[in-house]
Amino acid sequence: MKTLSFRGGIHPPTFKEKTQEQPIRSFPQPEKVYLPLLQHTGAPLEPLVKKGDKVKRGQKVADVHAFVAAPLHASIAGTVAGQQDYPHPVRGTFSCLVIENDGTNEEEKAEPIQENEIESKEPGFFRDWIREGGMVGLGGAAFPTHVKVTPPEGKTIDTLILNGAECEPYLTSDHRVMVERSKLVVLGARILCRACGAKKILIGIENNKPESIAAMREAVSVVPGEWEIRSLPAKYPQGSEKHLILSLLGRAVPPGGLPLDVGVVVSNVQTAAYIGRMAQTGLPLVDRVLTLTGDCLVSPANLEVPLGVRLMELVEFCGGLSSEPRKIIMGGPMTGIAQVTMEIPVIKGTSGFVLTCDLYEKHEYPCIRCGRCVTTCPMHLVPSDLAKFSEFRDFDQARDWYALDCIECGICAYGCPSGIPLTQHIKYAKAEIIRRSRKGGK
Amino acid sequence: MEEKENLIFSPSPHLRDATNVPWIMRQVVFALLPASVWGMFVFGFWNGFLPLLWSVLSCLAFEYLDCMIFRRPISLRDGSALVTGMLLGLSLPPGAPFWLAVAGGGIAIILGKQIFGGLGQNIFNPALVARAVLLISWPRAMYTWVARVNFALPDIESGIAGLPHGVDVVTTATPLGLWETYGLAAIREVEPSILWRLFTGQVPGSIGEVSALLLLVGFAYLLWRGIVEWDIPAFFALGLTVIALAGGENPFFHLLAGSAVIGACFMATDYVTSPMSRKARIIFGLGAGMLTAVIRILGAYPEGVTFAILTMNVLVPLLDKLIPVRFGVKRT
Repeated sequence: MKTLSFRGGIHPPTFKEKTQEQPIRSFPQPEKVYLPLLQHTGAPLEPLVKKGDKVKRGQKVADVHAFVAAPLHASIAGTVAGQQDYPHPVRGTFSCLVIENDGTNEEEKAEPIQENEIESKEPGFFRDWIREGGMVGLGGAAFPTHVKVTPPEGKTIDTLILNGAECEPYLTSDHRVMVERSKLVVLGARILCRACGAKKILIGIENNKPESIAAMREAVSVVPGEWEIRSLPAKYPQGSEKHLILSLLGRAVPPGGLPLDVGVVVSNVQTAAYIGRMAQTGLPLVDRVLTLTGDCLVSPANLEVPLGVRLMELVEFCGGLSSEPRKIIMGGPMTGIAQVTMEIPVIKGTSGFVLTCDLYEKHEYPCIRCGRCVTTCPMHLVPSDLAKFSEFRDFDQARDWYALDCIECGICAYGCPSGIPLTQHIKYAKAEIIRRSRKGGK
Repeated sequence: MEEKENLIFSPSPHLRDATNVPWIMRQVVFALLPASVWGMFVFGFWNGFLPLLWSVLSCLAFEYLDCMIFRRPISLRDGSALVTGMLLGLSLPPGAPFWLAVAGGGIAIILGKQIFGGLGQNIFNPALVARAVLLISWPRAMYTWVARVNFALPDIESGIAGLPHGVDVVTTATPLGLWETYGLAAIREVEPSILWRLFTGQVPGSIGEVSALLLLVGFAYLLWRGIVEWDIPAFFALGLTVIALAGGENPFFHLLAGSAVIGACFMATDYVTSPMSRKARIIFGLGAGMLTAVIRILGAYPEGVTFAILTMNVLVPLLDKLIPVRFGVKRT
C-alpha cells in the first residue's frame, strides 16, 4: 500500500545527532525515589502503603477504583519514608510517596507469560494484566493502556499501530528501544494485539531512523501474524496519532473522535517494549527509557531510569552541566513542559529532558497575515484568527472555528514570522471553552 | 540546586524557526532589485533611480512622522515601509517628478496603511492606493512616458520610422497605450516582435514593470525562499487569459503588458491584503486577473491591474471566512 501523507506539517531541526548513536545506559538503583500519585492521564491514585512499610521493587504501592487510571509500583526496594508534596513536572506540586532504598534489591514479580500462551489466553485476561502492570502510554501523554485496548460495545479494532515515529526534536529514546529491544517490542505488540482483538500490526517509523526500521523488520520476520513495518517521511507531527493513522491507513479520525472510531489502537513502541518485558520477567512498569539532552549537558544520553529519580540526579550521572540552563523542558521542545526546578522526578510520561541555553526568542511584530500558520496547521485550522479570537476573549467564535480540534503541536508558533505565541493563545481558548461548557453555559 | 531564579518558564513550543518580518521584507526587496536595475537601464539611470529613491525615502519619512505624531513605537524596523516605497517607486513613470513620488509615499503610508492601524491592519495594498490616487489626481504626470531611444515605441500616427536620432531619451507611448488606441495588429505592423520585447522588457512603461522576465526571476527567488506561494499569480494569469480570449484579445500580450506581472507576482501576493487559505487565494487571484482584463478591454483606462487588485482587496475579509475543511471531515 502506498504511504499517504498529511497536509501541513514542518521540518524543524532534529538535534537528534547528540544521542541517536548512544546505547541505553542503566541508571543504578537510587538512594531515594519520589513517586507522585499522579503518573498518567486520569484519576489520581491513593496510596496502599504507609510510612515505615517495607516495599519490594515491583510491589503495587498506589491504586484507585477508576477505569481511567493505572496502578503505581515501587521502583526500588526499601522503606516508605512518607507522603509529602513535592515538585511535579505537570502539576507544579503533587503528593508523592517517598521510598528510601534499603539495599536489598528484592523484587516482586508477576507470573511471566510464555510466548506460546499468548494466543490461548482471553483478551480480557490481558486487559487486566496490563492494568495490573501499571502500563500507560510512554510517548508522553501517559494514557492508561488497558483503557485504549478495551473497545466500547459495538466497536471493533482491526489494526494495532505501533508508533515509532518519534517526530519531536531531540528525543531518541524510542529509537534506541527499537534498535536495542526490538524483540521485546514485538512480544509486547503481540500481547497488545491479542488484548484489543486486532488482526494486523503496523509499525510506523520515520525514515530518518533506518537503524530502527532494519531492527524491527528483522524482529518481526521470525514471529507469526500479519506485520508490516512502514517507513514514513520525517515530518513533524508524524507521531501525532491522527496523522500517523492517516499516513499508514488513509483513515481520518473524525473531529473529537478517537483512533478506535476508525478501528485502530495506537501504542508507543516503548509501551510495547515494557509490556514485553513484563511478559518475559513479570516486572511491572517501574522503569522507563528517556533521553537526557540539550546544549547544557556535558554528555547527553539515553537512560533507563527507575521512576521517581530526580532530574538533578540524572544530570549528575551524565557528567553534570556544561553551562547553566535557561530552560528545562520535560518532553520534546515542540510540546514539552517547561520546568522551574531540577528536583522534578521522572514519571511514567517523561520521554526526556531538554536542558538548553538557547531560548529561540523572537521579536513580536503585528500579524502580517502571511498565512504560514494556515498552510502548516496539520489540523487545517486558522491559527492566526483563533489566536485573535482568544485575545479578544471571543471564545464562542473560537469554538465555532474549531479551536477544540487543535492538537497543540506548536507548529503555528514555531513558524510565525511575527513571533506571536499562537499556540499559547489557542490553548487558552480551548481551556476557556471547556471550562465554560462544564459550567453549563452554551 | 540554585538555578530556580534563572529558569525561564513559558508554554510550548520551545523552538522557533529563523524567519521574521524584517527578513521577509528584505527578501522582497532583493526580489525586486533585478527589475529595478533594469528600469534604470531602459529609462536612463536618473529617470529610473530618482523616482524610486524619492518614493522609498518618502515612505520611510512618512512612517516615521506618523509614528511620532501618534506616539506609536517607531515601526521602521519591520521593513514594510521600505517594500511599499519600492513597489510605489517601481510603478511610477520614469522621470516622475519629485513631488509626485513624495505625494505618493505620503498617500501610501498615511492613507494606505497607518490610518487603519499600521502593519497588518490595512485593507488595501498601500502602494496601489497611492498609485490609484496619483492616477486620478495627476493623470498627465502619471501618463508621461520617457525611455531611451532604443527602447521607445514608434508613434503609429506620425509615421513608422519617426524616432529621432541623436537624442538619448525620448517621450514615447506605452504598448498598452498604443493598444488602447490602435489595437495589437497595428502595433505588430510597426513592431513585429512586440511580445518578445515585452517579455524581456525592451519597452516603455513604469520603472519596474517592463521586464516580465526579471520580475519572474525575482518571484522565483521568493518562491524558492518559501515566502510566497504560486497560487495567486497563477490564477491571476488564468483569469486574465480567460477574459482576454473571451474578448478576442491576444492573452500573451495582456499577460506581458503593463503591470500584469508585477501586479500578479508582487502586489496581489501582498500578505496583508490577500486571503490566507488556498481556496480563498484562488478566488482572489482569479478575480483580480479577470477584472484586470475587463477594465482593460471595456474601461476608460488602458491599464486595469491597480483597480482590479484594489477591488479584490475589499473582498478579502469575506474570502477569509472560507476556512479550510478541517481534519477528519470529508469534503462535500
